[in-house]
Amino acid sequence: MTTTAIAIKAEKLNYIYSEGTAFEQHALKDVSFEIPKGQFVGLIGHTGSGKSTLIQHLNGLIRATSGTLEFEGENIYQDGYSMKNLRSRVGLVFQYPEHQLFEVDVFSDVCYGPKNMGWSKEEVEKSAKEALAMVGLDKSFYELSPFELSGGQKRRVAIAGVLAMKPHVLILDEPTAGLDPKGRDEILDQVAELHRQHNMTIILVSHSMEDVAKYVDRIMVMNHGEKVFDGTPREVFRHYKELETIGLAAPQVTYLIHGLRDAGIPVDEDVTTIEEAKQEILRILRKKNG
Amino acid sequence: MIRDITLGQYYPVRSVLHRMDPRTKLFGTLVFLVSLFISDNAAGYLAATCFLVLAIKLSKVPVKFMLKGLKSIFFLLLISVSFNLFLTDGEVLWRLGFLRITKEGIHMACFMGLRLIYLVIGSSILTLTTTPNQLTDGLEKSLGFLKAVKVPVHEISMMMSIALRFIPILIEETDKIMKAQMARGADFETGNLVQKAKSMVPLLVPLFISAFRRATDLAMAMEARCYRGGEGRTKMKPLHYEGRDRNAYLVYVLYLALIVVLEKIF
Amino acid sequence: MKIIQAAKLVFDYIRRDEEEKIEGVTRAIDGLSLEIEEGSFVAVLGHNGSGKSTFAKHLNGILLPTEGEVLVAGMNTADEDKLWDIRKNAGMVFQNPDNQIIGNVVEEDVGFGPENIGVPTEQIWKRVNDALEKVGMTAYRLQSPNKLSGGQKQRVAIAGVMAMRPKCIILDEPTAMLDPNGRREVIQTVHELNRQEGITVILITHYMEEVIDADRVIVMDDGKVVMDGTPKEVFSRVEELKSYRLDVPQVTELAYELKKEGVNLPDGILTKEEFLEHMIPMLKEAVR
Repeated sequence: MTTTAIAIKAEKLNYIYSEGTAFEQHALKDVSFEIPKGQFVGLIGHTGSGKSTLIQHLNGLIRATSGTLEFEGENIYQDGYSMKNLRSRVGLVFQYPEHQLFEVDVFSDVCYGPKNMGWSKEEVEKSAKEALAMVGLDKSFYELSPFELSGGQKRRVAIAGVLAMKPHVLILDEPTAGLDPKGRDEILDQVAELHRQHNMTIILVSHSMEDVAKYVDRIMVMNHGEKVFDGTPREVFRHYKELETIGLAAPQVTYLIHGLRDAGIPVDEDVTTIEEAKQEILRILRKKNG
Repeated sequence: MIRDITLGQYYPVRSVLHRMDPRTKLFGTLVFLVSLFISDNAAGYLAATCFLVLAIKLSKVPVKFMLKGLKSIFFLLLISVSFNLFLTDGEVLWRLGFLRITKEGIHMACFMGLRLIYLVIGSSILTLTTTPNQLTDGLEKSLGFLKAVKVPVHEISMMMSIALRFIPILIEETDKIMKAQMARGADFETGNLVQKAKSMVPLLVPLFISAFRRATDLAMAMEARCYRGGEGRTKMKPLHYEGRDRNAYLVYVLYLALIVVLEKIF
Repeated sequence: MKIIQAAKLVFDYIRRDEEEKIEGVTRAIDGLSLEIEEGSFVAVLGHNGSGKSTFAKHLNGILLPTEGEVLVAGMNTADEDKLWDIRKNAGMVFQNPDNQIIGNVVEEDVGFGPENIGVPTEQIWKRVNDALEKVGMTAYRLQSPNKLSGGQKQRVAIAGVMAMRPKCIILDEPTAMLDPNGRREVIQTVHELNRQEGITVILITHYMEEVIDADRVIVMDDGKVVMDGTPKEVFSRVEELKSYRLDVPQVTELAYELKKEGVNLPDGILTKEEFLEHMIPMLKEAVR
């Protein structure tokens, strides 16, 4: 087996819905990228931009019309490549994942994925326990029915259900949809923790720049099936005016900083978070006094 | 995949048939179906063909669309035609092993084939020119007399129209849950019947839960908008007959009479 | 004139086991008293489980108080004879856009409410036309709701309520399932209805950006009103909001953080313009 530092490599991925009919739709157009192992990527785009289609390619739920896709150095479209194996390696958490829960208790639901992988009973239970610990749910939850839990807890169980397959890459589609601000922060903090502690490669799909700016190393922006921006948050937010034309907005902080710059104040334009903005403004204010 | 299923394949153009009252069209379809079962001679079928051609012309729907519906019954057609062709007793014209073709067989096969084709085309004219809503409205009004015997006609037609609205939503949802479980290693395709049935549980449980949640939400939304059954309700699009409907009924009567006469003569 | 008057409202969710014995009681609303002025735009904030949706459902008689009472346009929701009058006057828009559209065609869905209250056919058409115009969905009137975006579906739902000619619209987290574009569409639409038609709007949400233009913000926690005031007053108490699992807009938070460091800024800055207006002279002074 080849070892490589690249987790996912996509080259000229195209996907066309209902080709040859009146409903033909080019959902992905020549999308190429490489994601190194251990990177935390934000995938941004509004509804219908192709971001959901893209992530379903990454674990083989949708097959590209053309182009190649490699996972850890291996072409997933080659003959005999195990899709089942790929799906355990690239864990995909769908939007509102709590809607897929079906078992009588939390623990059995988390076991569903690993069981499908054909692992032994001990292995299944061990990884289910680990996964539940990773999302911060202790033993007292194991026996509960998933339907008795709060919205945020259900979502954690569903995420654990994917983590239990021990994925190398974790993809989350809008994991904060419908949660209140605190619930949103809790989930995102947990994901950041997975990235930090387990060095997991993470792709976070969102339509909120403010949510991802704080966490990710890199942002990819999709529009009309094309990748339009790709870079660190500060690189991408520099294009805040172009982002607006495609219906997205940079975090509010970006606008404040640019407002200050337009007034002739030499603030660093690459500020992306509240904390950075605060330090930057204080630095200028104190230059005079200090 | 599952999303390709289409229902109520309405074809939006402006035509006399599109504007016609749905009750008239429902009744017309019924008349046509009855006529197909009454007649069993060439003259009767000639009359039916004329009636069908007239309807297609009036509907302004391309013939191609009409024929599309036939695809789904291709096998049924093939089976019924070959059964009739090979298994009818009578004057043998050709024989190969246990297979034989009789004169009566050819006759029966032709009629059965035509009957089926006409049946499908006839009913697709109805669905192609009538929106599902008009159809339920038409049914509600036509079956209104059943209210007298305590059949909840309004409720049934409301249920039908809500079902029509939610079928595409539930199909999409099924697709989504299926994919979510496949991402957890589920396999819906391989295995024997028992295994397959078992693998449906992770799909069906979430689907039922979701359907119940939607039903509760919808009931609340309907109540919030003052829905309280058919009593005292007015209609945004009430049905009423026009001149063209009277003419259509006239045509139906003449057509049926013709069919009966042709059946008696030949 | 008060459109909503809630006095000492209490609501208990009662869970029963299979034998109908009471298993547990959860108090969702706990002694809430509140009055809302006709024609105002009121935002109700609160985290999930704070009782805000339960409160909303009391405003058109979907839920009835366990204790206390709710008056809508002077009518008591517990009075069964008034129920339909109350629902006509206080329309409700829910969270999930798919689960509240009944019609298979946009215009037919908008006509559903007027049909239910027995409006004559000709007037239904007039009301439907008006309502679609007001929410800017006239161009989509013959479409199937399934073909619309989330924001468009919510606008259809709002039109459906408007066609009943209500005095007041209650929106229960109408944007929770929408993307930023859809959210903007919906909020803009309700603001227009409030300004141009004088409709009272009660917007329940947990998105802070949606409430800064409201006349009044009410924060709920544990079934009680814990904060009540103009957006400026409420948002100047950042720590307190955070303790209720809520958030503030980034600009408010930045201003608050700077103020804590001794920068001379006023309380409750809500917009970029306000922030720049105060910050630019100070920074200019510093770099000179």
